[in-house]
Amino acid sequence: MVPAAPELARRGFRDGDAAAAAFERLGDVPADLVEQIAAVASPDTALRSLADIADAVGAKQLLAQLADDDLLRSRLLVVLGTSRALGEFLARHPDVVADLGSELSTTPLGLDTMREQMGQATDADSLRIQYHRKLLHLAARDLNAHTSFVASSGELADLAMATLGAALDIAKAAEPDADATRLAIMAMGKTGGHELNYVSDVDVIFVSETPEGGDEQKSLAVATRLATAVIRLCGQHTREGTIWEVDPNLRPEGKNGPLVRSLASHVAYYDKWASTWEFQALLKARFAAGDAELGAAYVEAIDPKVWFASTRDNFVGDVRAMRRRVIDNIPHTQRDRQLKLGSGGLRDVEFAVQLLQLVHGRADESLRSQTTIVALRALAEGGYVGRRDGAALEDAYEFLRTLEHRIQLFKLRRTHIVPDDPEDLRRIGRSMGYRTNPVENLTKEWQAHRRVVRRLHEKIFFQPLLDAVSSLPAEGLRLTPLAAEQRLTALGFRDPNGAMAHIQALTSGVSRRAAIQKSLLPAMLEWFAESHDPDAGLLAFRRISEELGESHWYLRKLRDEGESAEQLAHILSSSRWVTDLILRAPDSVALLGDDAELVPRDRDRLLTEMELAVSRQEDAAAAIRMVRRIRRRELSRVGIADVQGRLDIVRVGEAISDIGTATLQGALAASISAVEADKGPMPTRMAIISMGRLGGHESAYGSDADVMFVHDPYDDADPEAAASAALAVAQNLRKMLAAPGDDPPLEVDAELRPDGKNGPLVRSFAAYRSYYEKWSAVWEAQALLRAEAAVGDEDLRTRFTALIDPLRWPEGGATPAEVREIRRIKARVDAERLPRGANPATHLKLGRGGLADVEWTVQLLQMQHAHAVPELRTTRTIEALRGASKAELIDLDDAETLEAAWRMVSRIRNAVMLMRGKAAESMVEQADERSGVAHLLGYGGDDSERMVDDYLRTTRQARQVVERIFYA
Amino acid sequence: MGKQEDFVLRAIEERDVRFVRLWFTDVLGSLKSVSVAPAELEGAFAEGIGFDGSAIEGFARVHEADMLALPDPSTFQVLPWRGETPATARMFCDIQMPDGTPSYADPRHVLKRTLGKAADAGFTFYTHPEIEFYLFKGKPGVGERPVPVDDSGYFDHTAQGGGNDFRREVITMLENMGISVEFSHHENGPGQQEIDLRYADALSMADNIMTFRTIVREVALSHGKWASFMPKPFTEHPGSAMHTHVSLFEGDENAFFEAGAEYQLSATGRAFVAGILEHTPEITAVTNQWVNSYKRLAGGGEAPNHISWGHNNRSALLRVPMYKPNKGNSARIEHRAIDAACNPYLAFALVLAAGLKGIENKYELPPEAEDDVWSLSEYERRAMGIAPLPRNLDEAIRIMESSELVAETLGEHVYDFFLRNKRNEWQDYRSQVTQFELDRLMPMV
Repeated sequence: MVPAAPELARRGFRDGDAAAAAFERLGDVPADLVEQIAAVASPDTALRSLADIADAVGAKQLLAQLADDDLLRSRLLVVLGTSRALGEFLARHPDVVADLGSELSTTPLGLDTMREQMGQATDADSLRIQYHRKLLHLAARDLNAHTSFVASSGELADLAMATLGAALDIAKAAEPDADATRLAIMAMGKTGGHELNYVSDVDVIFVSETPEGGDEQKSLAVATRLATAVIRLCGQHTREGTIWEVDPNLRPEGKNGPLVRSLASHVAYYDKWASTWEFQALLKARFAAGDAELGAAYVEAIDPKVWFASTRDNFVGDVRAMRRRVIDNIPHTQRDRQLKLGSGGLRDVEFAVQLLQLVHGRADESLRSQTTIVALRALAEGGYVGRRDGAALEDAYEFLRTLEHRIQLFKLRRTHIVPDDPEDLRRIGRSMGYRTNPVENLTKEWQAHRRVVRRLHEKIFFQPLLDAVSSLPAEGLRLTPLAAEQRLTALGFRDPNGAMAHIQALTSGVSRRAAIQKSLLPAMLEWFAESHDPDAGLLAFRRISEELGESHWYLRKLRDEGESAEQLAHILSSSRWVTDLILRAPDSVALLGDDAELVPRDRDRLLTEMELAVSRQEDAAAAIRMVRRIRRRELSRVGIADVQGRLDIVRVGEAISDIGTATLQGALAASISAVEADKGPMPTRMAIISMGRLGGHESAYGSDADVMFVHDPYDDADPEAAASAALAVAQNLRKMLAAPGDDPPLEVDAELRPDGKNGPLVRSFAAYRSYYEKWSAVWEAQALLRAEAAVGDEDLRTRFTALIDPLRWPEGGATPAEVREIRRIKARVDAERLPRGANPATHLKLGRGGLADVEWTVQLLQMQHAHAVPELRTTRTIEALRGASKAELIDLDDAETLEAAWRMVSRIRNAVMLMRGKAAESMVEQADERSGVAHLLGYGGDDSERMVDDYLRTTRQARQVVERIFYA
Repeated sequence: MGKQEDFVLRAIEERDVRFVRLWFTDVLGSLKSVSVAPAELEGAFAEGIGFDGSAIEGFARVHEADMLALPDPSTFQVLPWRGETPATARMFCDIQMPDGTPSYADPRHVLKRTLGKAADAGFTFYTHPEIEFYLFKGKPGVGERPVPVDDSGYFDHTAQGGGNDFRREVITMLENMGISVEFSHHENGPGQQEIDLRYADALSMADNIMTFRTIVREVALSHGKWASFMPKPFTEHPGSAMHTHVSLFEGDENAFFEAGAEYQLSATGRAFVAGILEHTPEITAVTNQWVNSYKRLAGGGEAPNHISWGHNNRSALLRVPMYKPNKGNSARIEHRAIDAACNPYLAFALVLAAGLKGIENKYELPPEAEDDVWSLSEYERRAMGIAPLPRNLDEAIRIMESSELVAETLGEHVYDFFLRNKRNEWQDYRSQVTQFELDRLMPMV
């Protein structure tokens, strides 16, 4: 009785109508068979194949066969539910169905038996039939859980080698001169590793010898013919399909080398010419087919060379390059569904295991297995990899490989992509035993294993380094100091002994700190190893740990939030300036890992915080300490965010200037309270005018604060007393901010005040007014363009602003004489101010197209037009430049050129400061500093010349604009 | 260590090489050489040989004097004029900064970068130069007039001129060093020779030209003669050019060829020609880099003085030559302004960059010049839109100063150095009192 379509759909067939039609083809199907079909991985696929087979032999006969033999029935259905390709094979060869009965071996056949059975093939077609028959047996054992993953993949390799042997026999039978040569086929890659996939290229190397007394040339010619025939026999498509491609390209000289070489020629090549990756490949060489004696001789000759590869000169560099290639080689479109390539892929595991084998296998023969899983176990046993890590990795590897097998089995296609069709995922999930929610559970499990593999490097490369210096007995053996040194060098540390000392210092003892650092370090080491300067990062981490003493909370933060640790590692190995701030006080670490914390605070919030902090303190000394502490914390915030590439250069300038302004505000309040404590209530109001970069909202790291102090005595105050109190406040403020201390000092520079250094530090408002009425020089008006009355008494600030506006934005614009004077001053600055020996092309401030060039050009436009164009009335360079462009005072192209140069130069200046902790006058010239800066600016460490070229081009173009506009 | 490096180390053993010269080229195109013992070579392959870049014309900014020369093993050759055993060999070097970045001051890198851009667009660039030079009876002393080895002319077979033996020896040595020669003959001027190299990719060819100049000088010296690539040694005789045939390939296909198109020149080829025409004024300071270069261009005859193209028009700057219709792969364009004293790395890079720009921006090709451009009147040329080449180095520099194409192609460092150096050359020249002035003015005023 055939069930109806809806009933079938309910039982789990995807397409009820199609299933009903297929059942029609089978005829009278017993109910329990329907039940059994519905239970396999893909009922639709199984049913369809079953119907196809029934069409070939007759439904009655097939149903009878199934009814007779329970074992056969269940095995057949499981295979058909997982592999459509094997179903098609069975439909072509229905007699093979009978193989699956009780006679089917439940253990792998072994290589000898396999060879014997494959040997029955006599031509390309029978080779294919025989191959697929063996493959069917193997899949039946595998899918019915008779054999483990290791056994199945080993048997697949045996089958491949036996197939190569059979193909060689067929080729020899057709070759009249077959006796003129001795040919051995060596299996490489996964075949040689005894861990083959269902469908994979089979990597081989052909080696031949001339039989005693034979003709050498003839021998080589015959061997080459045989090898070519084997490749064709296995790879060509016939009506029975194909087997797999034989890939001989791992041979000496790859595609360009002769297909077959003598043993002596192989040895000579590997002695003189081979590169490191070739030895890594040779690790897998195994005799597959042909002349067994020659195969053994090959292995004996090559083996020692593999294990001495790590003593080759360029081994470390090669390994680093190979590792980068493994990680980088991810095609973007497949990134998320790749099983083989990329971080977390199978190749990653295999590569890591092989690398450790090459590094440590020379001294320790127990590591020399060709099979990944076996080698991994040996590495764990020998202490080269932690035991638990080894086991977890083994699980993950087995899972991913099994997943790969099941994906490939369906169509017998070579693929390493996890399908995204839910129907495919359902089939694969069910075949791997996830009966409920197969899609979800499979995906979850897959991701979990992938995560394990992703953290692989940290685990298997770095964890053992910690164990090596640990004074506690580790589980199992551990790395010797020599092995540890070899490994650190291979991973890119320039001073492995120093690094070992740091690791030891960080992890020794039984303190909580040591314990936390132990768990943290493997990951940190990996991040350092990927950075520009691993040694510096590790050293800084040790210093922080030592500076922090017992304040654990920060370690806890690092441990609990993985992202914080990664950010810390990145910062420590790329910015000395931020590292120094962090070393001064640990609380900056609290900012790490929290996106909300890495946004600069706005000015109002900073001002409020400063005000509250100062008002809470009892005396001025405590208040200024608070002010400076807040400043340091905020600078850390900006520095960290900047190193991470979160901030635009204009934003960085705003943020640092806001911090400066708030600091002055807090310091002014503290200073006033100190003076009042001494002399009684202030007889005068005070304000601070920000000038220069501070006023322009474009401070850099390490910029001084340019200011002018102004006061305005109360009506009834004695002018002299008022002046002296104001002076005391200003002097005190400068002293308190400049004093050395835990928090970085801030130099307050008042040299832009009237009369410069010769003028009084503080003037009254009335004095400013009369000065500007009588004396104001054009350069002073220019300096006032960036004046912002930002700090202190509000009414005084407003009046000061009203005083200077007509000076800087004069009615009718700057006079021709003034414009001429500005140009003349600039020309003199160009000629004289550049320090001796400085390169005019790369001086950041005064160089060609540097900051001064751009800023003076913008300022000239402001002095000429700001009276008429409100957009120009700003202290900010970029804002004024854009305003000028909008008002069509400057071409859009020219404005963009100037802005690009200003940004580039400003970024370089900040990046140098961040990188080395010291300010730069010019583009850095030393190579290591340059690559550090390039790294920070996102150029990548080995592209620093391109950065310099960009710098020179941008500034040259800007200078052309400056010459046109400023000097017009 | 790669296979090529290994090959070099083996060859050094087998051929008993005692010295290896590491060659590179300064910004003005002079060959620089540093000798190392074979034992140092392995280190040189791995890390390079350090040298003081500030001593090389145009290389280092003051503080970054340390530079590295990294030999390119594919350029390994034994120097034939240094004798068989013990032998001396040479390799060309790439210049690196200590952090491993290729130096932007290295002309070879300038060309490599430009070839890289072409490769990104799917093109490989081939060149085939015809190099002319004069052979003199010994090195002329200061103030002396050079004396050519013979008085023959174009294609003349000269019995006792010594030119034949000389050319034979040069060609043998070139072939020994793996540089194929296509053609050689006596040129128009007395003692003037021409040797054409078989086409090769532009980087190999630039290397070959550097080798070629060295061999020609060496062989001349060994015959007690003096060879010079000076663009115009005699007022009355033709100058020495380096007409260069260029072609682009896309894979195995010649990108300039299109069967049935006018002159079988494809759209790509037309845009390439248009690109070179458009940007010629900007790149002339490099293709013709000496004060003397402009004397050749002013001299008429075979040297172009205007920016035009033509089919078999020897007065045009760019010539689309005839080739056999079924030989599509030999489609090419001949650039006739370049002279034999240029820096071939920079000149090739700029010609390529100009052509690529034409392709990229789909420049329209102006009409062909069918007449002898020299014979046209100034106004005829103007009417036909044929602009003059820069008339002297000063003009060429001024045009190059505002060229983004040149700056981008050469890189800022080379661009800046080159301009400064050439301004100085022009300054020095400007203040010279010449024989011409003396001859003309003394009798008169």
